[in-house]
Amino acid sequence: MKKVMMGNHAVSYGARLSRVDVIAAYPITPQTQIVEELSELCADGKMDAKFIKVESEHSAMASCMGASAAGGRAFTATSSQGLALMHELLHFSSGGRLPIVMANVNRALGPGWNIWTEQTDSLAQRDTGWLQFYCENNQEVLDTVIMSYKIAEQLSLPVMLVLDAFILSHTYEIVDIPEQELIDSYLPPYKPEIKMDVDNPHAFGALVTPDHYFEIRYKLQETMDKAAEVARKAGEEYGELVGRPYDIVEPYMLDDADVVIVAAGTLVSNSRAVINEYREKGIKVGLLKLRMFRPFPTKRVRELLAGKKKIAVIDRNISFGATGIFYQELKAALYGHGNGAGSPNIFGFIIGLGGRDVTLEDIAEIVDYTLEKEKNEEDIIWMGLKR
Amino acid sequence: MSKKITFTSISDLPPLVVSLGTTEVNPTGSWRYLRPVYHDKTAPCIEGCPASEDIEQYMYWAARGDFDKAWEVLVEENPFPAVCGRVCYHPCESSCNRDHFDQSLGINSIERFIGDHGLDFSLDKFKLAGEREQKIAIAGAGPAGLAAAYHLRRLGYQVVVYEKEEKPGGILQYGIPRYRLPKDILAAEISRLERFGVEIKTGVQIGKDISWEEFLQHDAVFLAIGVHKSRKLNVPGEDLDGVLAGLDFLSRINKGENIQLGKKVAVIGGGNTAMDAVRTALRLGSTPAIYYRRTRAEMPAILDEIEEAEREGIPMEFLVTPVELIGENGALKAMKLQKMKLGEPDESGRRRPVPVEGSEYVVEVDNVITAIGEQGDFTSIPEKLVEWGVVKSDAFGQTEQRPVFAGGDIIEQPHTVVHAIGSGKKAAMAIHTYLNGGDIAPLTDKIRVGDKGGYSFLRFRDGHEGDPIDNREVVTFEHINTSYFTRKDRHEVPELDVGARITSFEEVKGTIDREAAMDEALRCFNCGVCNMCDNCLVFCPDVAIKRRDDRFRYEIDYAYCKGCGICVIECPRSALSLIPEGK
Amino acid sequence: MNHVDIQPRIPEPELMYSGHLACPGCGASLAMRYALKALGKNTMVIIPACCWSIIAGPFPYSALDVPIYHTAFETAAAVASGMKAALDQLGKSDVTVMAWAGDGGTYDIGFQALSGAAERNEDFLYVCYDNEAYMNTGIQRSSSTPFGAWTTTTPENHTKERPKKDIVGILAAHRIPYLATVSVAYPEDFIRKFQKAKSIRGMKFIEILSPCPPGWKTADDQSIRISRLAVESRIFPLLEIEHGEKYTLNLEPEGISVRDYLEAQGRFKKLSEKDVEHIQKEVDRKWEALKKRIS
Ligand SMILES: Cc1cc2nc3c(=O)[nH]c(=O)nc-3n(C[C@H](O)[C@H](O)[C@H](O)COP(=O)(O)OP(=O)(O)OC[C@H]3O[C@@H](n4cnc5c(N)ncnc54)[C@H](O)[C@@H]3O)c2cc1C
Ligand SMILES: Cc1ncc(C[n+]2csc(CCOP(=O)(O)OP(=O)(O)O)c2C)c(N)n1
Ligand code: SF4
Ligand code: SF4
Ligand code: SF4
Ligand code: SF4
Ligand SMILES: [Mg+2]
Repeated sequence: MKKVMMGNHAVSYGARLSRVDVIAAYPITPQTQIVEELSELCADGKMDAKFIKVESEHSAMASCMGASAAGGRAFTATSSQGLALMHELLHFSSGGRLPIVMANVNRALGPGWNIWTEQTDSLAQRDTGWLQFYCENNQEVLDTVIMSYKIAEQLSLPVMLVLDAFILSHTYEIVDIPEQELIDSYLPPYKPEIKMDVDNPHAFGALVTPDHYFEIRYKLQETMDKAAEVARKAGEEYGELVGRPYDIVEPYMLDDADVVIVAAGTLVSNSRAVINEYREKGIKVGLLKLRMFRPFPTKRVRELLAGKKKIAVIDRNISFGATGIFYQELKAALYGHGNGAGSPNIFGFIIGLGGRDVTLEDIAEIVDYTLEKEKNEEDIIWMGLKR
Repeated sequence: MSKKITFTSISDLPPLVVSLGTTEVNPTGSWRYLRPVYHDKTAPCIEGCPASEDIEQYMYWAARGDFDKAWEVLVEENPFPAVCGRVCYHPCESSCNRDHFDQSLGINSIERFIGDHGLDFSLDKFKLAGEREQKIAIAGAGPAGLAAAYHLRRLGYQVVVYEKEEKPGGILQYGIPRYRLPKDILAAEISRLERFGVEIKTGVQIGKDISWEEFLQHDAVFLAIGVHKSRKLNVPGEDLDGVLAGLDFLSRINKGENIQLGKKVAVIGGGNTAMDAVRTALRLGSTPAIYYRRTRAEMPAILDEIEEAEREGIPMEFLVTPVELIGENGALKAMKLQKMKLGEPDESGRRRPVPVEGSEYVVEVDNVITAIGEQGDFTSIPEKLVEWGVVKSDAFGQTEQRPVFAGGDIIEQPHTVVHAIGSGKKAAMAIHTYLNGGDIAPLTDKIRVGDKGGYSFLRFRDGHEGDPIDNREVVTFEHINTSYFTRKDRHEVPELDVGARITSFEEVKGTIDREAAMDEALRCFNCGVCNMCDNCLVFCPDVAIKRRDDRFRYEIDYAYCKGCGICVIECPRSALSLIPEGK
Repeated sequence: MNHVDIQPRIPEPELMYSGHLACPGCGASLAMRYALKALGKNTMVIIPACCWSIIAGPFPYSALDVPIYHTAFETAAAVASGMKAALDQLGKSDVTVMAWAGDGGTYDIGFQALSGAAERNEDFLYVCYDNEAYMNTGIQRSSSTPFGAWTTTTPENHTKERPKKDIVGILAAHRIPYLATVSVAYPEDFIRKFQKAKSIRGMKFIEILSPCPPGWKTADDQSIRISRLAVESRIFPLLEIEHGEKYTLNLEPEGISVRDYLEAQGRFKKLSEKDVEHIQKEVDRKWEALKKRIS
């Protein structure tokens, strides 16, 4: 069934199709419609879940932890300040190996107050042990919620899916809502091997001395190492079942491209449009869409970008005192493993912080700049900055 | 203890921090520097009881309404609970820790209830050994002789008791009046002994009907012939008609003689004989009075008896002594008294009365009953056994001549029923060890009950090796955790109206009822002995105390006990001790 | 001696293991032992950062025979809310969820989550074992630390100036179905209240005064005695409050002087005569107020 809906509602429908048991969430612009829609669905009995109207995002995540530890499928959604408030528990939930799924609407952090889109909030949580997926449109949002549970529960790790404030969250698009039976066959009920169970009591998360902490951290990383393949398969399987396949990275006109744009979220759509224009002019520009940011799809990125000359990374975020975060990650993936000589030039563009519009012209400027420059001269190329 | 978990490789490790075993792998007992131990101690009441009755223990049973069991515990040490429940001056009560809290426990009244409860019980279960050949003869069927007979019989000996009077019981039979100790009660407790196999031959006087030498033919002999000769006043007129010796007077009454007293009867003395005589005289219709040469505080009689006499309206004149009995035609008419005052303390610690010059006065009297003490009559026994008017013996009644043992009033000890019973028991233990070629001396530390001269037959019986109980450690009030007790007055003992008393020889004091006995026993702190209140079990923060499998008492798991000492402090009755670790 | 049939005073099964890592004489460890005896095996325990995170044993061991979820300091009530919700969804509504936090995790950092859960009337039992300071981190003051008490952050010459936060009053104001105070010195009362809490749906809060020998500067063997003195001196009344309205006083002590309680503890060593009088006055005033609430 197709329906016109805003990105936030796509999140809610994704959660509903995933048959979540417990939702604990706290409202924050621009995520509020997710919460509102879910509480309505629960109240109307259209969804068989408990909605805990917690008093903070911190408690939202804590409640999800409790629910998940007891074997329930837990869901939450937040944004920006709320995500920052949760930070401590992001570590706790991944370390506790809890397959919680959270939607984060990318929003800038204060002060001053800014409710518009920016990627820093989610990217700042990159070291917490959560998987991260960035969505390009509302359909992908809905589908990604479902796929996230599939991935999370196989890995026993939490997953965050990210959508841009307003550009997706509040924008109405046509979204195909898959049949519930279809999703049920894709996503079986959550049956963890070990959980809080009075018949088989264990203590979870006790003190760990240096004797064992190291190895247990290693194990988490080991799981992360498997995550890329699990995520790829989950997207493939979803495609077979629902007819919309997804991959962890998605190349577009990449094979022969001289300049490759690397982007995530709605910046990908803008880039696609600009690439189409350039291709018409015969200029070989391609695109690498990063759907998955954590674990970073290093292997696939290396394969796909092998032999490329110039890469333009578009960051709607900043790691203060360093650079754009995708830029850093890309460099880290491509350099330092012995192939430095033949490696591409990488250009790091920071654009659209705090929700400033990113126009097609802006993207074209990025392409032009990259085409023009022989090699990268600055770590940050500020786009659209009113100097 | 659960198994320690070791991971040999990273693949053994779980992917998350999850427990796989219990903390029982941690031997937290190694933290301990003080070690709690279950350590029963001696209650002061038991120490105070010359018969060493296991009071604490029978209170435990009485409080739970199991009077059969209470009786058994009691009779383990003393075969005369119904008698003692009536006539004992209960030094246990004056030692009772509860006295420091509200009022001492009514031990004597519970003892009496228990005694009456078991009045027609058999003693058979107290038999400890098969029959032995050895024959033991006892002279005197008073409480000392009969107590010794009982314990010896338990040990399997052939016991014969020779009693010169017609009936056994000694002063219980012929001294103490019926209104304090009904004859049927005494008879019941004595006949129980006879059914138990103690042979009592009455009307047989040692030294007369049986010669001393013949008496000595037995494997062992126990002398318990008591002291019955009334001391003389040594004043002019003592032979006048109407002058009676106290114990003789009581004895005749007890034998059923009808003695006609005049109206005004003076009883001279302040001891038990005086009190019994004066109250008996009252019941015979006279108007008697007490004349005593010191003050009330120095009176040697049991305080209860003095109080009862007062309650019955008997006047008491203190600090007076008769200096002459005045007669007319050989019959008593009057008595000349001299006033006294208290001087320096004498050897008994009491202040010596000294005459006040020129203070004599005369009172008219119809009878004088002298009751200033009794002396032993040792004409029938070898002189060398006697010194300073008593039979020389040690604490266990061992005289210098084997196999002669002695006890009761004839040895140097307080003249009380319970001391007599205690001495009979101690002598029985000494005789047994003697007959088995042993010596009681090395055993004394193991069987003693505190430091006041009492010894436990139970411990003697059970063997004394490896006994965890330090019998000498007596629990004082400071060791009682009073948080676990609430203040409560003791139960009153029912008494006959004064009016009803003086017209008959009906028993003055009654037996408390069953509920009262249980309730009163519940007041007992059970000093020093675990009564399984569960406090230690409940309060251990380390789950180191376990109920034993047989559900009797507890065990401390020293692998885990951290030695916090809570169990020790919170034991209401000091049945645990904390000792330095490694001792 | 034979013996009469023993009637155990409190449930016999032990759901706490020996070898746990509490200090000798720790009131908090005893409290857990009682609590689990009352609640039984069908219980899940949530423990935020506090002494109990240590007491319960390091990986890979557990001191309890029921599941434990160790969580972040401020999250006990929120984790419990979520856990209970999931259990309800999974058809396991009969499981008792117990959040077990220290005073720091209750009065201070976890207060918001607790208040939220209380207001929502979540169906779980929240227990605060109150040792009146942050003990796990080495005896720092909390908002539960009483007036005049020494801690490492209210040092000898500057002991706490403000009174202890009235958590019971605050929770009562949330009008939760059941609220009670318990003491380790009164095990029967303690266990009865936990059993009662277990039978009630909705939010339950139980406050335990929990002596801590190193933190209170007392001998290891004094924990029960001090708990008792707290009750007897009316510093810590044993009570129950239903729906924030119906107050029941479970024990009416004669009221000994607060001095007995204070003098037993090194942390109150520096109290002046005036301080003691002040404390006594406050205790009397609060007791009167409590009595009024009851009648
Ligand atoms: C009037 C009175 C009242 C008392 N009241 C109390 C009281 O209330 N509470 C208390 O604790 N104490 C009381 N006493 C003291 C107590 O009765 C004695 O201490 C106790 O009876 C001593 O016991 P015994 O076995 O040594 O001697 P006795 O009881 O005197 O028994 C000795 C027995 O030996 C017999 N006998 C004597 N010579 C011979 C012989 N040659 N051959 C065979 N038999 C012989 C006697 O006839 C007598 O039966 C009282 C004493 C008196 C006199
Ligand atoms: C967010 C956070 N801040 C601080 C700490 C450090 N910390 C751990 S336990 C604790 C004190 C706990 O005090 P309380 O709740 O009273 O329990 P207690 O240790 O006294 O049993 C603190 C401050 C922490 N674990 N997490
Ligand atoms: S309280 Fe009981 S055990 Fe203790 S001294 Fe008194 S009678 Fe004996
Ligand atoms: S506390 Fe109670 S159960 Fe424990 S030793 Fe003392 S009397 Fe016995
Ligand atoms: S209460 Fe427990 S840990 Fe403490 S001393 Fe006694 S047995 Fe040992
Ligand atoms: S510091 Fe205090 S609360 Fe913590 S374990 Fe030790 S005694 Fe218990
Ligand atoms: Mg604390």
